[in-house]
Amino acid sequence: MPKSPLPRARFSLTPAVRALLLASACGMALPALAAAEHDEVDRLMQAGKLDEAMGRADAFLKDKPKDPQMRFLKGVIQLDTGKRAEAIAAFTQLTQDAPELPEPYNNLAVIYASQNQFDKARSALESAIRTNPSYATAQENLGDVYARLASQAYSKALQLDQNNTAVQPKLAVIRTLFTPAPAGGKPAATVAAAAPMAKAPVAAAPAPAPAPVAKAAPPAPAPAVVAKAPEASAPSASTSTAASAAAPAPAPAAASPAATAEVESAVRGWASAWAGQDMDRYLAAYGPDFNPGGGQSRKSWEEERRARIVGKSSISVNIENLVINVNGQAATAKFRQIYRADNLNISSRKTLELQRSGNQWQIRKESVGG
Amino acid sequence: MANSQGKRRRIVADIVRHARPQTSPLQRGRTRLAALLAASALMLAAPGAASASTPAQSGSTKASSAKPKGSGAGRTAAHGAGRAAKANTRNASAATTRPAAAKPAPRKAAASSSAAIQEATGAEARLIAVYELFGRGKTRPALAKARDLVRDYPNFQLAQLVYADLLATQVPPAHAFSDSGIARLRSDPAMADLREESRRRLQALRERPAAGTVPSQFLALSTRSRYAIAVDASRSRLYLLENSDKGLQLVADYYVSVGKSGIDKAAEGDARTPLGVYYITSSLDPKSLRDFYGAGALPINYPNPYDVRRGKTGGGIWLHGTPSQQFARAPQASDGCVVMANPDLKQLLRKVQIGATPVITARSLQWISPPQAEKEAQAFTSTIAAWKEARASGNEAQLKKFYLPDFQRSNNKKSTEGFAVLRDEVEYARGKRVQFKDVSYLHWRDGDDTMVATFGEVFEGEKSGRTRRQYWLRHGSEWKLFYEEVPG
Repeated sequence: MPKSPLPRARFSLTPAVRALLLASACGMALPALAAAEHDEVDRLMQAGKLDEAMGRADAFLKDKPKDPQMRFLKGVIQLDTGKRAEAIAAFTQLTQDAPELPEPYNNLAVIYASQNQFDKARSALESAIRTNPSYATAQENLGDVYARLASQAYSKALQLDQNNTAVQPKLAVIRTLFTPAPAGGKPAATVAAAAPMAKAPVAAAPAPAPAPVAKAAPPAPAPAVVAKAPEASAPSASTSTAASAAAPAPAPAAASPAATAEVESAVRGWASAWAGQDMDRYLAAYGPDFNPGGGQSRKSWEEERRARIVGKSSISVNIENLVINVNGQAATAKFRQIYRADNLNISSRKTLELQRSGNQWQIRKESVGG
Repeated sequence: MANSQGKRRRIVADIVRHARPQTSPLQRGRTRLAALLAASALMLAAPGAASASTPAQSGSTKASSAKPKGSGAGRTAAHGAGRAAKANTRNASAATTRPAAAKPAPRKAAASSSAAIQEATGAEARLIAVYELFGRGKTRPALAKARDLVRDYPNFQLAQLVYADLLATQVPPAHAFSDSGIARLRSDPAMADLREESRRRLQALRERPAAGTVPSQFLALSTRSRYAIAVDASRSRLYLLENSDKGLQLVADYYVSVGKSGIDKAAEGDARTPLGVYYITSSLDPKSLRDFYGAGALPINYPNPYDVRRGKTGGGIWLHGTPSQQFARAPQASDGCVVMANPDLKQLLRKVQIGATPVITARSLQWISPPQAEKEAQAFTSTIAAWKEARASGNEAQLKKFYLPDFQRSNNKKSTEGFAVLRDEVEYARGKRVQFKDVSYLHWRDGDDTMVATFGEVFEGEKSGRTRRQYWLRHGSEWKLFYEEVPG
């Protein structure tokens, strides 16, 4: 029965093949060099330095205006900075210039959905899936959009006021063109290392002085406390701990290390409850004043979460690049969330806002991106 | 409602079967699958089936385990609906293959399916095409067509429901229908009305009147009445028949709604639609009406003299349209009026003649062959002939036998009671030859047996005559007049 109208083939272009495709698409001679710059922009984005990321993206695109990866990243930055119209233009142009890429379609769909243009979102996602039938994020997003369209149509059938039933689907933005291959891949830690390395040859050409290398170093330190995972006990946390460990020593933070550790433990507890499909513990991670957003009630949000979480054959939630900021009784935790469930594999940036109540940190707000 | 599912499944299975008259074994296999799919879609539309199961589950489990039982649903079961439905289906297929036979054999599924629902009008035909596509397992094209349909008719609630059900089939099972409140919306009590509307539209389109038959009320119809209307409340259907030298022929039929408390109006404010034989009395300009009445309104002469005689009260029964935000209304939604979609009503407005178009509103229409109607008409003709003879003979006592004691006549608002009329009649008609023309006999049977006879009479030597409308009631083996209208 209608599992899905589309074949669930496990077919997917390997990153290498896609890299070649991309390289040929933009006629690049030195993919490695460009890749380093892409990684740098991506890193800046993750660090929340959107202006800087944008500056670098623009500078890069001056030389290589056709580079799809950078144009895509720029589109994501525009999306993150709320420039929807520009982001739509960027992604639309990409779908025309590189129609074989599913990601721009997916992100267009995310924007359309956020504007309640669900039919446009649907057709963009269907295009994404046509280009790559196994694109899990687009598949999941399409499921959300169909659910939303269905609920709209049911509401119209009942002549209900749409506003009463509006529940914004939370669609996942794809943030880079390559879904990083976790096994044996180079996680974020290499980004920091790659930046100076990439710079080196360029800098080396005119004058092989050590200065440029030294200059290249400062971008590396993380903006705030990088919470280290003290023990490598987290499920498949090897890459994330490696990433944290490789980061430079944490800058002195205003908050006490103890509070930071508490927040970290709350966040990791939340992730492990999620992965363990332990709904009681998972929901308890959210404070009483948690607002699911989009006008959704706590109860319907809980039902939705339960429906999404319970029954998956397996879920893993890994946290990378966790950055915690504590400010008195409030804290924010920003990280990259690598979510895998069944055949889904979604990497996204996540921000949790937490509030201390008693000796417990509870989630007050959860947002994707930012 | 559980026992209606079997029937529903059969309805769609029939659509599917008709859709593919000749198929390869492979296609037949797919068709069977398609039938299951369709059944599940309609089970989505079944009251009480809204609970969480996905269409996949309900489709496979129910269809594999349950062989639909032949018992029809509640009311119609009384008429042996289980077998009747099958018979009707066969009739319908016979009826629908006839037009197709003129052309080469219908190869294309689309051609034959459209034949199966030939009488459906625009939006409804498109909706049924969606069902039909889905029934053949063509979910994606069905979805595309449904999308177009709701784009063109965003206020067509049933189309929105079908579109929603189709969209829901595209949501991956892991997504669960609790998402976005779909489950909650599906279990909304108001869905039951839409599902019932769906059921009745399908039923009416499957169970077609046999080719060439006419509603049993129309024993004779003057060609002055160019159209006749018959409403079948059990099917939520209004049938439009064209009257010509060739007799009455069904030309279109439309989904309608009746009173929210059902039919058989008895008293003012009971929110029921009257049952009986009526005529359209006027056509109200939609500009003078509230938006609620849509494209226009056609009042009928409820309560007619028979209704008055039985003490029925109320009035203002119209055929009218729908408010702009609603394409169609629930099967039982009005205060007693017959409500149609505006595009349908507009078609009707172009055809009806004030004072001349009869409107039958029946619980359930019986369709009879024209020869049978003629035979019954002849039986009544002899009564009229005897009445005419008695009048011409000038024998008042003889004539009196044809009247009930409480007979009334209305002549241009002037009403005369009792036998005082007879003297006038006798004096007027004595010794003259008179010709009857444009004769209509409308037969209505409920607890009583009544006849509404309309005819013009032209006396010898006169150029024009007058029209009489007589209401007869059968007493034992004899017909008696209890009311007469002589306008002009």
